[in-house]
Amino acid sequence: MAAPSLLRAGLRRVFSGLLGSSWAAPPARALRQVVEVTEGNTTTIEGRIIEDAEAPPPPNPSGQCPICRWNLKHKYDYVDVLLLSQFIRSDGGMLPRRVTGLCLEEHKKVAVCVQMAHRAGLLPNHRPPLPEGHIPKKPKLNRYLTRWPVRSAKPIWKRGPKWCKKPYAVGHPLLKDNVKYTQKPLCLNH
Amino acid sequence: MSTDPLSFQQWATFARAWYLLDAKMQPPGKIAAATVIRLEGRHKPIYHALNDCGDHVVIINTRHIAFSGNKWEQKVYSSHTGYPGGFKQVTATQLHLKDPTAIVKLAVYRMLPKNLQRRTLMQRLHLFPEDVIPEDIEKNLLQEIPQPRAVPKRLDEYTPEEIAAFPKVWTPLIWIDC
Repeated sequence: MAAPSLLRAGLRRVFSGLLGSSWAAPPARALRQVVEVTEGNTTTIEGRIIEDAEAPPPPNPSGQCPICRWNLKHKYDYVDVLLLSQFIRSDGGMLPRRVTGLCLEEHKKVAVCVQMAHRAGLLPNHRPPLPEGHIPKKPKLNRYLTRWPVRSAKPIWKRGPKWCKKPYAVGHPLLKDNVKYTQKPLCLNH
Repeated sequence: MSTDPLSFQQWATFARAWYLLDAKMQPPGKIAAATVIRLEGRHKPIYHALNDCGDHVVIINTRHIAFSGNKWEQKVYSSHTGYPGGFKQVTATQLHLKDPTAIVKLAVYRMLPKNLQRRTLMQRLHLFPEDVIPEDIEKNLLQEIPQPRAVPKRLDEYTPEEIAAFPKVWTPLIWIDC
């Protein structure tokens, strides 16, 4: 108690919110600092919200998930590593949805983009810890927009005649609504 | 050769130029498309199929090409030796490990027009797996062709100022045990 620690003050508001209203109104999220003030007989222990003045307010505060709040709905891709790195752990795994606050479809899209970024080698420091002395012997081939895991893809020995060729899967269908800055249509099957 | 300015212009117009293309982190199909335009001479206003106005193209770093999708595992290159039982099928990974220039060479060969000029145009294509080029070719190079694909930045290639300037999209709820 004497040592200053960060209070779980937000959790009480979560519980009161769940008993009364629905899940639609999330509580205020912030870091709080415990401040103990003794005035004569009374000791006031307060959890003051640390106002991060550096964080600018999102352009759309009425959004339900962080992506909607920042108006990024169809605007991010596997290349936007600065955004994707905010939703991953240090070993590369995704953070759970109840922690990040993403809605289900955006969580899946971000997961897909994170997987593609890992396979493209854009997140080199978010690797799982290897057992000591283990040297990976695989040939490092450059790739991007990989839909399937590398070891699960099998060679297409017979592609078929010209009118019904088996296509190569590129990108992911979840990202087909992304904003296009060129006139060319998005091709998910090469 | 006379000092007539018009003959100088004639020589300069029909001279064969040498172009450089860096294939690092580029898809081989787009590399081949840009190369074929230069090899045929379609980038020149004086183009005609009978003109033989194509240029030389030097492609470096073919070992570092990047395929989109799972093509490294799925794409299969087939050939037949002509003998019975001689049908060979090799995945793109295996072919690339055996010969790092083969994928780009095949891509360019298959994209060129299927006529007798194809073989002469292939002789004007020079492929190198790394960025080590012989000196006499390096002296001939005139211009670099821009890369078809914009290579994305890795997370460790961003400066700390850029990372700090990017806003935090969500704030965490801190849980403690007390």
